[in-house]
Amino acid sequence: MRAWGRILPPAIAFVVGALMLEMAVRWSGVPSYLLPRPSAVCQTLVDDGSELLAALWTTAREALIGFALSAIAGVLIALLLSSARWVQRAFYPYAVFFQTVPIIAIAPLLVIWFRFDLAVIVCAFIVSLFPMIANTLSGLLSTDPALRDLFRLYGAGRLSTMWKLRLPSAVPNILTGLRISGGLAVIGAIVGEFIAGGGLGSVVDEARTQQRTDKVFAAVLLASVLGLALFGLINLMSWLTLRRWHASEQD
Amino acid sequence: MRICSWLGIVGLIGLLAAAGCKDRGSTPSAGAKITFQLNWKPEAEFGGFYAAAQVGAFRRHGLDVEIAPGGSGTPTVQMVGSGTVDFALVSADELIVARARGNPVVALFAVYQTCPQGIMVHASRGLKSLPRLLQSDGTLAIQRGLPYAEFLEKKYGFGRLKIVPAPNGDISLFLHNPGFAQQCFITSEPIQAKRAGSDPRTFLIADAGYNPYTTVLVTRDDYLQAHAQTARAMVLACREGWRAYLDDPRAADALMQKLNPTLDGEVLSASAEAQRSLIETTQTNQHGLGAMTADRWKTLADQLMELKVIDSAVPAERYFADLDSPAGK
Repeated sequence: MRAWGRILPPAIAFVVGALMLEMAVRWSGVPSYLLPRPSAVCQTLVDDGSELLAALWTTAREALIGFALSAIAGVLIALLLSSARWVQRAFYPYAVFFQTVPIIAIAPLLVIWFRFDLAVIVCAFIVSLFPMIANTLSGLLSTDPALRDLFRLYGAGRLSTMWKLRLPSAVPNILTGLRISGGLAVIGAIVGEFIAGGGLGSVVDEARTQQRTDKVFAAVLLASVLGLALFGLINLMSWLTLRRWHASEQD
Repeated sequence: MRICSWLGIVGLIGLLAAAGCKDRGSTPSAGAKITFQLNWKPEAEFGGFYAAAQVGAFRRHGLDVEIAPGGSGTPTVQMVGSGTVDFALVSADELIVARARGNPVVALFAVYQTCPQGIMVHASRGLKSLPRLLQSDGTLAIQRGLPYAEFLEKKYGFGRLKIVPAPNGDISLFLHNPGFAQQCFITSEPIQAKRAGSDPRTFLIADAGYNPYTTVLVTRDDYLQAHAQTARAMVLACREGWRAYLDDPRAADALMQKLNPTLDGEVLSASAEAQRSLIETTQTNQHGLGAMTADRWKTLADQLMELKVIDSAVPAERYFADLDSPAGK
């Protein structure tokens, strides 16, 4: 019953919003090559369904691999940065590089250095790495000092403290980082695909060349659905891991 | 909170509707500033337009023209259709597709009588023809959405070739991989490759039977109706500019190099030379530079229908306007 309470309001808002948009586009007379009607986009989803789904699967695969790599690398790098104050001060500013690098500019270079499909995964990795580092580091550095002292009183070594206290208490922050990185990984994958080909990115590029604005919107819609699905998956993970003990998952 | 989100949705839809209702009728009359949108950075393929500006051809015909350079992915056909600009450059197949999608653009002047689109391979591979290339191994970088790519796929098939996206103007992958073939404009990438010490060999798509007019000056139907004199003046000015450029490209080349510092002077003059035979043909000697025929438009429309790129075509005369006769079309 509670599940319906969570799904129904956004579903209704979506349907009503789509209907209003449909009427607005029809009434305003905007030409279809500038802004297609939602009904035209739906029709394209049906007509080109198999092509779009195959592209969605490719993008999902590449985004997920890039995302998984950035999650693992992000946690490891954060662990390294949190090990000593001087390490953090020396190297954390350079981690920001991953946030600010304009991926569309280096994507052609990535294509030259790696194979075409690997380049897409690297794009997804680069774009989604920084939130993982930043959030994990924040979590590792904000362990309850009282608990840290308790561990020290009991004679726990650094590795023990890290594994049994700091990392578990950083899990909520890691999950926040995952939520942000997931969507970014999809964006990174699609940007990489503009240059390297394959997946929804190349569907968008092809459709744009053919002046099929409805197909562009259909592909973009699927990309958003992918990001949403990833977000939902991480929320589920969060609920499963945190429901017993963390305030954020307790109603 | 719920009221706010409803208001937000309604406001957004209102904005979109207002944007779509932009008044397309209030375009400037002759004498007012005209924006002419190019579909790439300044290069030899636009030499005649810059020459027209330099020799004062636009001014002589009463036009105040601003040439706006484009880049990768500039949506010129949509910009003209929506009224953002009044004149732009597109290719003929783009125009036919646009019309089929409800975008009423019409062609006025075609720079390239022969399409410069080609596939560039390494001469060391010993491939003698385009069909041979398409049956070979290796990698081919083309922009798959383009009609010529569908034409090639339908006519010859891509066989064992690995198809990857086209590197827009960037030849580094070609230079480093002997098995790499890519789409190109015969006036551009092969010349750059040769300059970089490579061994390019180009097969023209036109030779395979697909030959759309390219670098075509277009405007909208309603603009043409309302400002036929301006459109005619534009065509005459462009014709003069291209004549000047073909006779001596050096002045316009210098201007384009200033506007596009990435241009290599030698490559630019080699491009200007290479494109002569594509621009000046027996057809243009008879009917003037940039002239077009209904037959070629019909052929192209038929090809696009066969490729299922468009569902329906209009009579060929609707695609272009012949503004040469004093009374216009």
